[in-house]
Amino acid sequence: MVRKGSASTWVAGVGFVALTALSAGILMQVHGSGPRAQETPALWLALAAWAALAVLALNRLALLQQPKPLRLLAPALLGAALLFVWEVGVVGWNVPRVLLPAPHAVAQALSTRWEVLWPDFLQTAIAVLAGFALGSGSGLAAALLCDRVDFLKRGLLPLAGLAGAVPIVGIAPIMVMWFGFDWHSKAAVAAVVTFFPMLVNTLAGLAASDTMHRDLMRTYAASHGVTLAKLRLPGALPFIFNALKINSTLALISAIVAEFFGSPIYGLGFRISAEVARMNVDVVWAAIALAALAGSLFYGLIALMERGLTFWHPSYRQ
Amino acid sequence: MNFKHLLPAVALAVAALGAHSQAQAQDKLTLQLKWVTQAQFAGYYVAKDKGFYKDVGLDVTIKAGGPDINPSQVIAGGGADVIVDWMPSALATREKGVAIVNIAQVFQTSGMQLTCRKDSGIKTPADFKGKTLGVWFFGNEYPFLSWMDKLGLKTTGGADGVKVLKQGFNVDPLLQKQADCISTMTYNEYWQLIDAGMKADQLLVFKYQDQGVATLEDGLYATEKSLADPKMAANLAKFVKASMKGWDYAVKNQAEAVKIVLKNDASGAQKEAHQARMMGEIAKLVGTGQTGKLDMKAYESTVATLMKGKSDPVITKKPAGATTDKVFMASLK
Repeated sequence: MVRKGSASTWVAGVGFVALTALSAGILMQVHGSGPRAQETPALWLALAAWAALAVLALNRLALLQQPKPLRLLAPALLGAALLFVWEVGVVGWNVPRVLLPAPHAVAQALSTRWEVLWPDFLQTAIAVLAGFALGSGSGLAAALLCDRVDFLKRGLLPLAGLAGAVPIVGIAPIMVMWFGFDWHSKAAVAAVVTFFPMLVNTLAGLAASDTMHRDLMRTYAASHGVTLAKLRLPGALPFIFNALKINSTLALISAIVAEFFGSPIYGLGFRISAEVARMNVDVVWAAIALAALAGSLFYGLIALMERGLTFWHPSYRQ
Repeated sequence: MNFKHLLPAVALAVAALGAHSQAQAQDKLTLQLKWVTQAQFAGYYVAKDKGFYKDVGLDVTIKAGGPDINPSQVIAGGGADVIVDWMPSALATREKGVAIVNIAQVFQTSGMQLTCRKDSGIKTPADFKGKTLGVWFFGNEYPFLSWMDKLGLKTTGGADGVKVLKQGFNVDPLLQKQADCISTMTYNEYWQLIDAGMKADQLLVFKYQDQGVATLEDGLYATEKSLADPKMAANLAKFVKASMKGWDYAVKNQAEAVKIVLKNDASGAQKEAHQARMMGEIAKLVGTGQTGKLDMKAYESTVATLMKGKSDPVITKKPAGATTDKVFMASLK
């Protein structure tokens, strides 16, 4: 049994080294001044071998579950593999830069234009956070109100549905006219867009508490407020976090789109629209990468908070 | 063999042949405009409606532009054969690797201007310091950036710079005092301000032409690939000939031109009074010289203006092969 284990480790090790060497070789060939990818059968063979090795490696890595950090290895390597395919495809097949720049061009644009992209990011981030807080907060408050006052529940909910259906590109110019060109109008757009998901999810969460549990609270002569604080709100937390996760990405998207319609000359949305018109598509992708990274981090942060506060939920059981 | 079955097939074949031969007489060409249907493009609509294109054997489709439509990108993507674009945008696109070439220059002078509110305290360009200025982007920001560079004003704000807003294609920022000055065209947005209730004595206008930072505006551009194909190049010459005939007619018969433009406006948003004023201003830009001829001095001046920007020049090297007079000369025959 021990020998079998060590043999498979050797094979894995050799396989990994071969994969790395092959990747490096392909990248060098593609970036060199040699003939284009289609014209060398050796390159096609190398790519086929690379693909087979990569699939095998990812299959093996996906089985690794302990220790916990190793679970990240498979997704990380899959991401790296996709970037590799993008790089080789774009450079090897001479895809025009204005159509799709290679990852190295995007990384270059990110580093050379960093002094411009970072203030852009901050400008958008203020709008996103303010809009997210305002929209989610008012959605939560409206849900609590609707829950208390039955007339509001029947009257406000359909109207709130209208608010949720308003297209961002429709309200953005109006918000710019009302609140000016700076981040305030972008936050307003994000707030309008994030209001409805929060309202609907919170209402669903508040209704989700068990009938038996609510009866128990009644036998304890608990007031509406106490029942809310001790039973219904904690029970609604999974739903509320669901809405917060949705809103995190929605707020980012709506703030960036709102910046297309009037902004000072900084902001991720402004950068994307101005640079795409100048055909600097690598800067556009750099801004997109920055926005995607920020959005993922924001989402991840909320997911972590959710883990901490709703650890009791069945979905977290192994 | 039952010949009755063959009859419909034969009829179809004859009809197809007939249609094909008819199509051969009219070559198709697509023109992408820089903005929505308005008197700014009267020459092309007049040429189409009065049959000037048909007379030279062309079946021209005119595609209207709009916000977010950059004609240089449209031709780069193969969506048009010839475009109306401004020279800064075309030269910048050329430097990025899209080989477009100027084949005719319709507007000889620039209609771009910065319109300011008199109550903002601005009297001369030196007063721009610390003020908020609205600028279009999407290829229209280059003349402004060169001007600010010439005045030595930073566009990043601050006490000794200017605050720049990316304005939309309307005049609200000036009406609502969100900006002290906004970009306007002599033939469009300035009149929108007047129509919105502002008086001419409340506004102060700085024309780019007078400030020495004007760049060439509406011109016709085609790709190097089109020009290398002899048939396409011949068609482009015919197109230029018919279009310039359309422009000459439009300038001489402005009321009729306005009616033709309104007839072609699919959106129905344009008003006759506004278009009539626009036609009058556009006629001034087309000038009285030989319609469509590119003045090389004006071209050199545009290139110099674009290369001057120290921090963010629009183009970094002098363009080579960005213009050709072959098509224009062929159109004169």
